[in-house]
Amino acid sequence: MRLHLDNFTKCFDGTPVIEGLNLTVEDGEMLALLGPSGCGKSTTLLSICGIYRADGGRILFGDRDVSALPSQRRNVGVVFQNYALYPHLTVEENIAFPLTVQKKRTDKAEVARQVREIAELIHIEALLSRRPAQLSGGQQQRVALARALVRKPDVLLLDEPLANLDAKLRLEMRSEIRRLQLETGITAILVTHDQVEAMSMCDRVAIMDKGEILQIDSPTEMYRAPANRFVAGFLGNPPITFLDGQTAQEGRFAMAEGLTLPLPAHLRNMPAGRPIALGLRPEHFGHGGAGQASGRVTFVEPQGREMLFDVQAAPGVTLRSIQPTRDDVAIGDEVTWSIDADRMLAFDADGRRL
Amino acid sequence: MSSFADPTLEGARSSRPSRARRAPVSRLGLILMAPAMLLLTLFFFLPVALTGVFAFTDLSTSTGIGRGDYVVTPNLLRELGDRGMSSADLEAVSRASVTVDAETIERARAAGVDGRFLDDIEGDFLGRSFDAPSDFERDLRRLRTAPRRARDLKSAAALFETSVLNQRFTTSDGLSAKLETLAPEVTPAARAQIVDASYTGARFTTENFERLATQKETARLVANTFLYVGATLSLFNVGLGLFLAVVLFYTPKGMSSLFSTLWLLPRITPVVLYAVMWKWFTWEGGFLPILAEQVGLPSFNYMKGSVVTAWATMITLNGFIGASFGLILFSGALRAIPVQQLWASEVDGASRWQQVRRIILPQMRWPILFVTAYQTLSLLSSYEQIWLTTNGGPGRTTTVWALEAFKTALSNYTGNLEYGMGAAMALVLVVVGLVLSLIYLRLFKFNELVGRPKIEI
Ligand SMILES: Nc1ncnc2c1ncn2[C@@H]1O[C@H](COP(=O)(O)OP(=O)(O)OP(=O)(O)O)[C@@H](O)[C@H]1O
Ligand SMILES: [Mg+2]
Repeated sequence: MRLHLDNFTKCFDGTPVIEGLNLTVEDGEMLALLGPSGCGKSTTLLSICGIYRADGGRILFGDRDVSALPSQRRNVGVVFQNYALYPHLTVEENIAFPLTVQKKRTDKAEVARQVREIAELIHIEALLSRRPAQLSGGQQQRVALARALVRKPDVLLLDEPLANLDAKLRLEMRSEIRRLQLETGITAILVTHDQVEAMSMCDRVAIMDKGEILQIDSPTEMYRAPANRFVAGFLGNPPITFLDGQTAQEGRFAMAEGLTLPLPAHLRNMPAGRPIALGLRPEHFGHGGAGQASGRVTFVEPQGREMLFDVQAAPGVTLRSIQPTRDDVAIGDEVTWSIDADRMLAFDADGRRL
Repeated sequence: MSSFADPTLEGARSSRPSRARRAPVSRLGLILMAPAMLLLTLFFFLPVALTGVFAFTDLSTSTGIGRGDYVVTPNLLRELGDRGMSSADLEAVSRASVTVDAETIERARAAGVDGRFLDDIEGDFLGRSFDAPSDFERDLRRLRTAPRRARDLKSAAALFETSVLNQRFTTSDGLSAKLETLAPEVTPAARAQIVDASYTGARFTTENFERLATQKETARLVANTFLYVGATLSLFNVGLGLFLAVVLFYTPKGMSSLFSTLWLLPRITPVVLYAVMWKWFTWEGGFLPILAEQVGLPSFNYMKGSVVTAWATMITLNGFIGASFGLILFSGALRAIPVQQLWASEVDGASRWQQVRRIILPQMRWPILFVTAYQTLSLLSSYEQIWLTTNGGPGRTTTVWALEAFKTALSNYTGNLEYGMGAAMALVLVVVGLVLSLIYLRLFKFNELVGRPKIEI
């Protein structure tokens, strides 16, 4: 079911945390809400499921305006960050809970059948008689998912579902959640501040900052063409390096610190003297291209398959490069590496991409 | 709780010798514990031990706490008669006889009888005794020096009468010897019984417990106590406390703290003031009766006027004191439930009522049990409020065990305070309390809580 936030506003104690937010999640799509801590992701999510009341605007499930409905009548499934399982109930009773509190009574056998069906889908049939305290984090996560899905909700909301898991489990649950979402075809929103999670699990990513959505795009598009400096800086690990300077003669870019580089091809005709910022991703330094920078290696970080190098190209200007592991470069060496100037990102003084 | 703990590990841990580490710790521990132990001994063990000792005596106002004497009183004789002693024996013991010997002459001289008269008596009758005072008086009248007036003669003669009645003897042998001379026909067995019964000091006896076990009153006290503790606990300390806690849980913060503070008032009000307030509230001319009169309901002194209203008043006024304890404890427990659980249940479609009944209440089991356990103990031993309000009435219908113990030992109208009996009743309370505590501690797995350190060092 299509989910639409129309001019949604939420205030706490009179101060707006989110103001005039518009967002559409298409039917069957999984969208990531990605942003730094405190930007309003959870607030948005809790407003969608009705825990918080919107202070303005509308929330639409399909054509149904649910803004005024209490959460009991919105038919959403939510997985909370700490899972929020009911500690006094068994796994089976936890999963059955949404079915047994419905006004329209479902008979016992039917409830048991639906619980078993969802448990099989999520691979937790063996745990049904346990209590939450007797489960590992990953297992609790699965139970929370099953409880959220058993009622066949219109929308599935996940608030940092993987934050409490260790690295390996996180990887496993990442694909597991995506598999379930695809199999059930449910419309879903994933709240996270982990960009890898957002990019790997979702069809589209919405980047939020300070209660505002800065850009919504597919992960690849967002990485390739970020709308502004914040998005560019937020996506990418290791992060992009920003170089603040000015346009110079003959389509070049110059920094006060002394470093000069060719401008990206589409900006070569810019008049000189304009303040701009270039964004250089580590994979565009040392991998061929028209530009060049030389300097001393100040830091080497081996990551197994790849290596990270910090190169001081001018006093106070450190460029970062990621390259396949090599052992011919060490800290202190002078290097001259190419820069793929055409794939560098450029931003104007207000942070918009040029 | 780690129900998954590996049993073999568990066993290994508990069998690890810990003695090596204990010695240095325990000395410091003892020093630190000493003040607490001292206080505990002074204010808990000692009173309990004394209660235990007194419980097996017949200590009362009339016995006093010092050594007693041996006194045969008319009252005692009547009592002995009730217990089946023959009236001939009693007659013999209470008989007065007249003896003229150095002692009685001395007594008469001290009382101011004419010396010449006494010399004559001594000369004529020394060593004689008379069975009836009238014979002695007749003989005396014949003496030349006898007083003219019959009254003087009579009173002088009375000084030579001796009777065992109301005479104090410091030893049992003294009394026994006297009885033997005065009433030789009384058998030694009966004599021993009289001597024994005449002791006025406290004595060790199990009579208190026999009386408690056999008297009809006990059953009523037990039933009253059960009703009082059970009703106060279930209706107020747990019931009302839980109800208020849940209601306040759902009300805005400012309101709820104000309201909880209001409920604390009965607890922090001095108990006498609180009792007086309830009197204003329920006595004739008080708030409730006047209100009832306006509405056309029966209006009388609700606190003492009828059994039902007395019970209702007593349970309510005690309940209001205890409710705040439950309220505070339950509120804390409620706040400890993660808010996400409540969110989850709402999103899952649970109504408020379903949320309370199926998510919140099941998680309150331990707090409820704790309040029940704790308040049972304090209700069992509390009587001050009852004493100050219904005072166990009307009649003795609202008298509970603790109040009866208090009245028996420390406050009653007849003035004869039966310390021994009161102590016996108190001892029963202490034993019941200890047994209940042990049960509760088992229930709470107290050993587990204090036994194994959370952090191993
Ligand atoms: N109940 C509340 N009362 C007042 N302010 C709140 C409340 N909840 C959130 N806020 C504020 O609203 C803003 C957004 O909070 P929100 O919880 O949505 O952040 P978030 O994006 O989920 O962050 P995180 O990644 O840390 O979970 C924050 O500045 C926070 O301080
Ligand atoms: Mg959050």
